Parts: sequence; C-alpha cells; structure tokens
Amino acid sequence: MTQKITLGRSIAFLILVVCTAAMISPVIFMISTALKTKSEMMLFPPTWIPQTFQWKNFTELFTNDEIKFGILYQNSVIIAFFTVIGTVLSSACVAYGFSRYHGKGRNLMFMLMISTMMLPYPAIMIPQFLLFSKLEWMDSFLPLIVPAFFGSAYQIFLLRQFFNTLPNELYDSGKIDGCSEFRMFWNLALPLSGPALATVAIFSFVWSWNDLLGPVLYLSSQEKFTLPIGMAAMISSKFRIAPWNLLMCAAIMAVLPVVALFAIAQKRFTEGIVLTGIK
Amino acid sequence: MKKTRSVWRNLLGTALVLSLFLTACSSKSSSGSSGDPVTITYYTIDSPDRTYVEKLIPEFESKHPNIKVKVDKAPYEQFDSKLQANIAAKKSPDITSHFGYGGFMEYYNKGLLTDLSDIMKEDNFKAADYGIQEELMNIYKVNGKTYGIPSNNYVTLMLYNKDLFDKAGVAYPPSDYEDASWTFDKMVEMAEKLTVQSDDITKAQYGVDFGWGELDMRPTYFGAKVYSDDTWTNGGKPSETYFGSPEAIAAYQKWIGMIWDKKVSPPPAFSKAVAGQFGDPFLSGKIAMSVVGSWSLASQKDFNFKVGVAAVPTGGNDKVRSVLYVDPLFVLKDSKHPKEAYEFIKYMISKDVQEQSIELSGGTPPINDSAKEKYYNNFEGIDPNIIKQVYEGANKYGVESYNHLVANYSQINELFINELQSVQNGDQKVEAALPVIQEKLTKLLERVNK
Repeated sequence: MTQKITLGRSIAFLILVVCTAAMISPVIFMISTALKTKSEMMLFPPTWIPQTFQWKNFTELFTNDEIKFGILYQNSVIIAFFTVIGTVLSSACVAYGFSRYHGKGRNLMFMLMISTMMLPYPAIMIPQFLLFSKLEWMDSFLPLIVPAFFGSAYQIFLLRQFFNTLPNELYDSGKIDGCSEFRMFWNLALPLSGPALATVAIFSFVWSWNDLLGPVLYLSSQEKFTLPIGMAAMISSKFRIAPWNLLMCAAIMAVLPVVALFAIAQKRFTEGIVLTGIK
Repeated sequence: MKKTRSVWRNLLGTALVLSLFLTACSSKSSSGSSGDPVTITYYTIDSPDRTYVEKLIPEFESKHPNIKVKVDKAPYEQFDSKLQANIAAKKSPDITSHFGYGGFMEYYNKGLLTDLSDIMKEDNFKAADYGIQEELMNIYKVNGKTYGIPSNNYVTLMLYNKDLFDKAGVAYPPSDYEDASWTFDKMVEMAEKLTVQSDDITKAQYGVDFGWGELDMRPTYFGAKVYSDDTWTNGGKPSETYFGSPEAIAAYQKWIGMIWDKKVSPPPAFSKAVAGQFGDPFLSGKIAMSVVGSWSLASQKDFNFKVGVAAVPTGGNDKVRSVLYVDPLFVLKDSKHPKEAYEFIKYMISKDVQEQSIELSGGTPPINDSAKEKYYNNFEGIDPNIIKQVYEGANKYGVESYNHLVANYSQINELFINELQSVQNGDQKVEAALPVIQEKLTKLLERVNK
C-alpha cells in the first residue's frame, strides 16, 4: 500500500523533522560532551563531534573516589525499587476500595485525600522531618521508602478512575465462582489494569529517581547518597569549573533505566489494552 | 459486608506489621551515652573544594581523643534548606559557615550564632598567633562580640588573557596597587585596543568584564556611598540608602557605559552565549581582562590560554579597590559542645592545616598569614611574587563584601538583579532605573527590618 506524497504531507514531514531535530539535539550534545576532554569541553564555539573520543570518562566516573558513582547508582535503584512496589501495592488497594465500596462519607474521604495533592513539599518538609527525626530514621532509606507504602494521592486517583471503568458483571461472575474479595482484587482487577499499573509504576519510579530534596534532607553519610545528590554535588562548587564531561556521562547512565523502564512498560501497555477487551 | 470488613482489617494489620518491621530495621539510634568522647558536626557544601575537611579530621582526632568530628554535607542549592530542617529538629550542626545563599548577617539576625567572645577570652585567643589581621577579625564582630572566626581570605583581583594581550601587542596590566597610573580610565583605554567588534559571535572579543562585587556594591568602587554608616555597626540594617544620589547614578553610568557607550564590555547576551554552562565568559577566551573573585584562580590550570594576575585599577575611591570575601567559621547557637567546636576551628586556622588545605582543596586562600607564602606558590605558570603583590594590595585596599554584612541580603540582591537587567540589556537608561530601585529598596527595607 503506497501512500501518495502530497504537498501537505511533505510539509508535515518537514515540520516533524525540524521538531525531532530540536528535541534530539540536546541529547546528542549530552553524548558528545560526555566523550570530550576537559579542555575540549571548554572550547568556544563548541564542537559537535569530539576530536578524540574519551571513553575513559565513563571508567573515571566509576573509579573516582570522590564521586563513588557505583554506590550512588545502587542506592538510587534500591530506593526506587521499593518506592515503586510500595506505591503500586498501596495505591491499588486504596483505589480499589474507593472504586468498589459505597459507604457513607466515601466522597468526602476521597476529596480529603485528593486535597493533600495541593500541599507543596516545602510546606510539609519541616513537620515531616521532625517526625522522621523522632522515629530515629535519619540517615537511612526509610523516610524515602516507607511513605510510598501509604499510597500517593495522585496515583490513587489515577487507579480509581481506571477501576471505575471495569464492569460490575466481572465481579458478579467472580462472586458466582466463589472468589473472595481479595481474590477479586488480586486475580480480576489487577491483571486487567496493566496499563494503569504500568503508568503508576513509571510515574513513581521517575519521581523517586529524580527526587533530590528528600534524600538531601534525610541522608547524611556518603555511602547512602543517591544519584541526584551526587550529580548536584558535581556542580556544587561555585569556585571551580564543573566536570561537565563526567556529569554528562552520569546523565547518560541516569537516563538509561528510565528509558528501559519505559520500553518495558510500553509493551505491558498494549498487552493491558488487549486483555481489557471484555464484551 | 462482613468480608469487606475483614479485608480492611487484614490490610490494616499488614500495614502495622510492615511499619513495625521497618522501624526495627532502621538505622542504629544515635549514641545517647553521656561519657566522652563528644561528637561535633561540621556542616559544609558537598564539593571537593569544601569536603577536603574530611581528610584533616583523623589528625585532629588523634590530637584530641575526647572529640570526634562528623562531616555533614549538602549540594549548594539545598544547603540552606537542610540546615533549616536540622535546626528545627534540634539536630543543629555545631560548626558551619555562610556557605549557602544567606550571609553572616542573616545568621546573626536570626539568632543562630554563638557569641564566642567568652570562650576566646578564657582561652586567651590572640588573632596574631594565627596570623589573622585585626581588621579581618573585626568583620565578624558585632558590638565588640565575636560571632565568627575568619578561615579563608578570598579577594577580588584582575585576571587577564595573556594570549589576547600578546596578539594585540598591548603591555600587560600592572600588579602594583601603588602604581598611580593604573586607573579605571586607563583600563578602559587598554580595553578598547583589545576589543574586536563583530556581529559574528565567534570573532567578537571584548576588552574587560567588570565583575566587581555584587550589583548594589559597585558604586562604592567609584567612591559613592550607598548605605548609611550605621549599617556596619547595627547588625546590617541601613537606616538610609543613597542609590538615587547623583554620585551613585554617575557610578552606574560609568559601569554600564563600558557596555553600551565604549562597547568594551560584553553585553549580557554575549556573556550568556559564550559562557553558557560555565557562567564565566572569561573562560571562553573571548575576554581580555576580567575583574573577579580570587576563586577563579584555582581552576587556571584548566584554562585554554595563558593567564596573568593584575591589580584592580583605582576608580575614584582611594580606600576601596578590592572586594574581600573572608569566609568565617561559626559555632551555631544550638551546639551542645561550643568549646570543642571552638577547638576544631582553632585547628582549622593553624598554620599546618591551612597549608594542607591549600593542596587538598586545590587552591583555597588561607587566612593565616604564615601559610600565605605556600598559597602564592600554588599556581603553575604565574609568578608567585605577582600574586603576593596583588593579594597584599587587595587586602590593604579591601572592603568585605556587602552580601556578608547587610541583613536580608538575598532579597536586596534579587531586587538589584531584576531591576538592573533592562539597564544591562541596554533597554533602559541608568538615570531612569535608579530612582525606581531606591524607592523599591526603601519599601523593602522598611518591611524586612521592622
């Protein structure tokens, strides 16, 4: 099936090419800077293709004692992993409840929960810090992971909207077959919610992966630091030239899991849509 | 409905068990034992030129077996937030400095600092024993009480690009502060010869980038007074400001004139384009002379050109030619061990440690005069005698940066950055902008200094 090349089409194509180029050029510049020497990094006008490819920038990133990139990476992965598990599990439970049960005050409770989304982080920063400090959780991952197990208003809202679209007949047939309430949640609602769960997983992963202020506040020993702290520290000196080439290597490494997760979840996305084809 | 309830109960139970489990495996609680040794916390910025302190601790601990030192750190942008949270949670660090956005006076006015006078008197502290000049000690005194002990001595100096000078065949600027011929006008004259005007950004080149102090401080260089004298004695709260005065306006006109009349200084758009991520356009090799803080010297070995150091020319103020950035160390009010913290500060300003710090940090200027010789010799390719001459002149004709001395400085600075932007961009005249600044500043100060 060949498509006719019309004027409109070629203009659209041209616009798309220009937009793509605009979007991808920072990425290309990131990769290019990552492979430059320190002196080439400071050249003006900047070069797009490095004169010599400094692959050893990556080795230096991992072996540099002041950066300790491997440990940063590992900590970020641990925190993000538990945050995703916690957020998905707890938010799904709560959202299922809000979607399935009709009790008095349900809407009021839902509104209350949604309203917590309005609170900016700096407003709750100090009280939360006091709480975790009293619990003696300072300098541990707990203040960063445990809140995820208590749901996130935004994700609950998102999942509830999805659960609302599942037909009641589904649960009725489940009941007839003798399903317990938990099995209906676990074996019926969850498997059918692939796309929504994937979205929640991506959101919570990216949020945890990018979070800087939380880890800065709660972590104080170097071996517990996360990627954003390490990368912010690399540009923290107002008195020195930042190692932008190493920082760009770090940026590439930091972007990889997000890209990978997106690729994997995208597949689940389509799967989920196929599965929900109930008639 | 029964089933529903049991599900809820199960969930609640799981949550409780989970939280108990997580509490159990949380990190070990901080030591609450009352016996020695005591632990003091040093809070700093997470960057190699600050965290080198960690490497100095083992020696201190071996000399003071009853004191343990812990370093806590945060990236620059989050430094103030973390400090604020820790103070609120009664986990205040013992020692820090104004490493973040806030200056000395902000700490002082919030009541965060310990008055060290008594401890110092008891210990018979003499600034001369640590090679600290009395004038520098006075910077962190309020009403005769010492709230901070100087530890680093940054000054403002001139860096110049030797390659551009050689190419244009212009003689290098002098390093002697007593050289009466080295004036602001002479600098502009020299800059004209070093400027290449071109619409092509890769060919354009500018004579001088005049980054002398913060924006509100600049009239001082030209001899105009901007804050009333009581500012320096009453805790940084000026009763009057004079930014609308003819002298102040003339001063700003001289500075802005370099960009738009003489065209020897880069307009902000050019600086942004060539400096981009590095912030300082001088590094691009497109600026011949740059008046900057001496911290720029520390990375000179990474520059793509040969660099020289010179004196800041005289601009009409006989007494003030260089902005000093003397970093102190504070003991915070909530410190439970102020004496031990003071011991550590003394260690940090001792000759040996100050000398080690230069190397470990990659070029932090010591406050201790006996360690300065080593600092002058630290910069490959630059004559140590010239650095010494420039440094001594800068300290002699120096005044501490206002960002450390004026209360609520972040708000004042923001006002100047916003209001002067259009002037720097050439969209507004100085004489039109300054009265507006004066009016807004008066209102701001009335509000914040009540």
